[in-house]
Amino acid sequence: MIKTLQQNEQDSMKRSQTIVKIALVLVFVLSTAMIVAGFLSMRTFNASGFDAENAYASIRSLGTEVARNYRADTAAMLDQLDGGEREALGGAVRTLLSDAWGMDEAQMTATAQETLGERVDTEEALYQLLAATYAIDGPRVTSSIKRGLDAVEDMPAFRLALLSAVATGSPASEENGLAQVEALTKAYDPSLMMQLFFTTINADYTPVSDDVVTTYKRAVRGDEQKVTSYLMAVSGSVSLVQAMVIEHSRTTILLGVLLAIDILLLAFLMATERVWKLDFKWIMILLIIDFLLVFQVLPLIYLVGKAFFPEGSFSLETFTRLYTYSLNWNALKNTLIAASATMVLGTLLAFPLAWLVGRTNLYGKKFFRSLFVLTYMVPPYVGAMAWLRLLNNNVGTINVFFRFLFQLDTTTGPLNIYTLGGLIWVLTTFYYPYAFITISRAMEKMDPSLEEASRISGANPVITVLRVTLPMMTPSLIAGALLVFVCAASCYGIPSIIGAPGRVHTVTTRIIEYYGRGTQGVNDATGMAVFLMVIAIIVLYISDFVIAKRQYITVSGKSMRPNIVDLRGWRIPLTILVSLFAVVVILIPFTTILVTSFKIDVGKSVFDPTNFTLGQWTTIFSRSETLACLKNSLIFGAVTATVGIVVACVMSYLLQRTKIRGRKLPDFLITLGSGTPSVVIALGLIMTMRGNYGVNIYNTAYIIIIAYLIKYLMMGMRTVVSAMSQIHASLEECSQISGASWTKTMFKITGPLIFPSIAAGWFLIFIPSFYELSMTTLLYSNSTKTIGFQLYEYWTFTSQPQSCAMAFGILLIVVFLNFVLNRLTKGEFSI
Amino acid sequence: MSSITIKNLTKSYGSVQVLKEFNEVFNDGEFITLLGPSGCGKTTMLRTIAGFETPTTGEIYIGDRLVSGGKTFLPPEKRDIGMVFQSYAVWPHMNVFDNVAYPLQIKHKPKAEIKQKVERVLSIVHLSQYAQRLPNQLSGGQQQRVALARALVAQPKVLLLDEPLSNLDAKLRESMRFEIKEIAKELGITVVYVTHDQTEAMAMSDRIFLINNGVVQQSGTPDEIYNRPANQFVADFLGKVEFFKGVAADGQITIGDWKQAIAYPAMERQGKVEVAIRPENIRMSKTEGTLRGVIETMYYLGDVNDCRVRVGDALVRVIAEGYSHREFAVGDEVLLNVREFIVFDDDGSLEEQLKIKT
Repeated sequence: MIKTLQQNEQDSMKRSQTIVKIALVLVFVLSTAMIVAGFLSMRTFNASGFDAENAYASIRSLGTEVARNYRADTAAMLDQLDGGEREALGGAVRTLLSDAWGMDEAQMTATAQETLGERVDTEEALYQLLAATYAIDGPRVTSSIKRGLDAVEDMPAFRLALLSAVATGSPASEENGLAQVEALTKAYDPSLMMQLFFTTINADYTPVSDDVVTTYKRAVRGDEQKVTSYLMAVSGSVSLVQAMVIEHSRTTILLGVLLAIDILLLAFLMATERVWKLDFKWIMILLIIDFLLVFQVLPLIYLVGKAFFPEGSFSLETFTRLYTYSLNWNALKNTLIAASATMVLGTLLAFPLAWLVGRTNLYGKKFFRSLFVLTYMVPPYVGAMAWLRLLNNNVGTINVFFRFLFQLDTTTGPLNIYTLGGLIWVLTTFYYPYAFITISRAMEKMDPSLEEASRISGANPVITVLRVTLPMMTPSLIAGALLVFVCAASCYGIPSIIGAPGRVHTVTTRIIEYYGRGTQGVNDATGMAVFLMVIAIIVLYISDFVIAKRQYITVSGKSMRPNIVDLRGWRIPLTILVSLFAVVVILIPFTTILVTSFKIDVGKSVFDPTNFTLGQWTTIFSRSETLACLKNSLIFGAVTATVGIVVACVMSYLLQRTKIRGRKLPDFLITLGSGTPSVVIALGLIMTMRGNYGVNIYNTAYIIIIAYLIKYLMMGMRTVVSAMSQIHASLEECSQISGASWTKTMFKITGPLIFPSIAAGWFLIFIPSFYELSMTTLLYSNSTKTIGFQLYEYWTFTSQPQSCAMAFGILLIVVFLNFVLNRLTKGEFSI
Repeated sequence: MSSITIKNLTKSYGSVQVLKEFNEVFNDGEFITLLGPSGCGKTTMLRTIAGFETPTTGEIYIGDRLVSGGKTFLPPEKRDIGMVFQSYAVWPHMNVFDNVAYPLQIKHKPKAEIKQKVERVLSIVHLSQYAQRLPNQLSGGQQQRVALARALVAQPKVLLLDEPLSNLDAKLRESMRFEIKEIAKELGITVVYVTHDQTEAMAMSDRIFLINNGVVQQSGTPDEIYNRPANQFVADFLGKVEFFKGVAADGQITIGDWKQAIAYPAMERQGKVEVAIRPENIRMSKTEGTLRGVIETMYYLGDVNDCRVRVGDALVRVIAEGYSHREFAVGDEVLLNVREFIVFDDDGSLEEQLKIKT
């Protein structure tokens, strides 16, 4: 009897195992089928012989028809408007012109007449005028279009007409043309808009420039697959369904490949575990891996591939071309010198500071500690801006002061920020906190009796530091130093503000510059990015896999009573020295930012009553563009942080509470992602996420959020993982023994215990995402500008005082958020 | 080798006074134990002697030299002290030899002398063959001995030990206990040993200072402290004890709950008293004894037999020899004989005194 029962059980187990195996094979077949189908439809598409010239012509002729209808509709609509409505419409456009361009009525009329003659009525004249303005280059242009569109939001037909009018303007530059295409394609249904271009530029009154034609042809080429499938469907050569398959063939292939990888991985995991059962945890792991494969691994592999196989076959041409150019060599040299110097200086600063603040009776050490850590949260470009104001060769406040102090007769110097030295200085003041935090944490963890043992053995405090503290700290010291090195090497904000005007190029600024230069430029950017990536990976390898193993574990069971060294006679002089350091590195730059934000002319003193204004502040709080950017930043940051913290919680559960196979793989990928320089991540995403690999999120908010996630996910994850590791599993087991379900345990026991860390992790992802610049510079579109990028734009193109006001605003927001975090976690965490 | 003299020492952290009026002399070559519950101030005392804490008031002399007090404060490195820490504090980046040689290197002793002294001290602690090992290749007990060797190598006048055995397992602790005692005796060094483990204190000390609440409750040899406790706290802290209230009159003490009396010919105290009885001092027999009771529970622990005997309204704990579990059974009527007991005045402070015990 018993035997049969066992037999039955075994049988049913065997049966379910067989079912799982069959299911795996079936899904694998499905994934292969998807890949094959994708490739087949790609072939159909290739056979259709895509020719940009032809496609361009076809769309144009197709579109002429559509556009003619729109024009008729618009004219009819304008006719239908009553006097009041016309006036409102005219008013809206008028406000727009005067607001964005400061035109008065006379200028408007003059420009209208000049542009249009007397052929059109007032309203049409106004929107034609708007279109004409577009021919002028500058950051204000796209925002004026946006405003125009917003102004006539409830008049769809008029909006279309306005758009078509905008399109008739001849873009002043290539980027401008692309921006135009982008603005229009994002505004409405893209295929409709595409038709619209080709017809409106053909309209009777505005000659089409060659530039415009080139720009549009490029747009057509960029959307090859879509255009072809669209044309094929319209011309009736394929059915609509087929057209869709053709259009999405790459997505199908991508999904097929992912599915195949997942199934193979799953089969491998099941085989090594010898459990042929689908564990829900594997699904979670696979989902995270899939995400990282597509958005992290694929772009990185692509970058490397592109650098070594620029035209599809192996060639070192890109590298030869890049590195025979002395500017690039200099950039490379500058990057290495700047990063190494920053590393050395930063660590040399950080160790004594960490020791003074953590291990001595320095006055106000708690205050200093939070002050130094605060710099960690400040966007680096803000520091660059401040130091530029202070150390500008001609008008820098410190230079002026020194010239006055030493009665120098020169009008320049003695210090100049626009040099490699200046770059190193600013990098150091911004990245030493990374080393400071790493070293402080290690010092807090060190058993104080190790130092006491040295003292009692007869060594004075100095010898103790040299022979015990320092050697014990060495691994953390190296880890901190390497972190500084990699951050400094991959920093874009600081070199872009300081380096560019001084012609001190670094790899990051070269990458971004190359990126703006068409196809060849993108290839070159890739070549430079690969260099940066190699540095980062080497450093990551050393710090994670070599040093981590040598870390001394010296945590003792007893509560930590730090061994406080009495500085005695040195107490006051050292406190003064540290205060001076804080004044120079923190107080002066931030004050400069604040003071500059109240100026009209940056060159004059703020105490000059004619030069003092609150206008910059009222402007930034009232300008809708700035507010839109702020909103974008808050949304991107919040979405990134929320998605990130969910992944972080799942990962820490998998890492800390399960022994499931394969849990280390996503952990490894996440670590790799955070170690990859921002510019490299962004570049990789741009090159692979524009539809050529089946995902098209180019110019959307998604691409930005994904980039942030890849870069900052680890910060959140580490926080939650370490909190989880400190909660003994028995606390959860006890809850389950008491009768609570797993979910209830998570909500009642684990959740509340790790909540402070979850909150801290959320903010750790949110804050850098909120003010991010390097990646956003490459990934933004007109509708996805962030506050960091807006600030950079204003600094470069518009007004330094205004961008200073914005910078200080960002600073206040970050400090406020830190305060919220501190309250939320009852003082347990602040950054 | 020198004595340690502590005069009027107090130590406060803010408004919290952790040491109250310490006045003690630790003689040259004496093995002193500071014993007490956690947080009683014993470690603070030790760290004040070492120079890691400054006294709030009072003075400390090592030998004749004033090391802490008034304006004088000698930093730890100048006090010529050896110290062993609870966490061993063996430096993980140095091998055993370098760890032990460190105090001599700091004093710039010649290389040959260092080598000779380190080898000698390593042989004392039985670590000669481990000289080149790194600490993470050693067991806890071996690291402990490295720490001891390092504390001894420079032949300090005084050796301080801060709960050095509390991180070791029971067997090792017992053997290390005697090793440390032997080494101290051999070197004739003054030792101040901090522990909360009374067995350690009893086994090792020449004199025990039992501290509670920052105050020395009693000092004396293990025998004095165990058998003639100065107050109820001391009696309770060391060993097992039970307190009963009674009235002393006419050469005997009548214990209320027992409804029986025990002989008290000395009559040092009269009237309301508290009697402290150690369970191992009661003899249980079927034939002789003054008290009558019934065995209620019996726990046979191998070497001893831990019983509860109902006497009147009270349950009296009796620890009889292990063999006795064959003679007696639960429910047996037995006779008890209290061989030794301690009498305190019943001043109502008992609860208060025992509450502090942790």
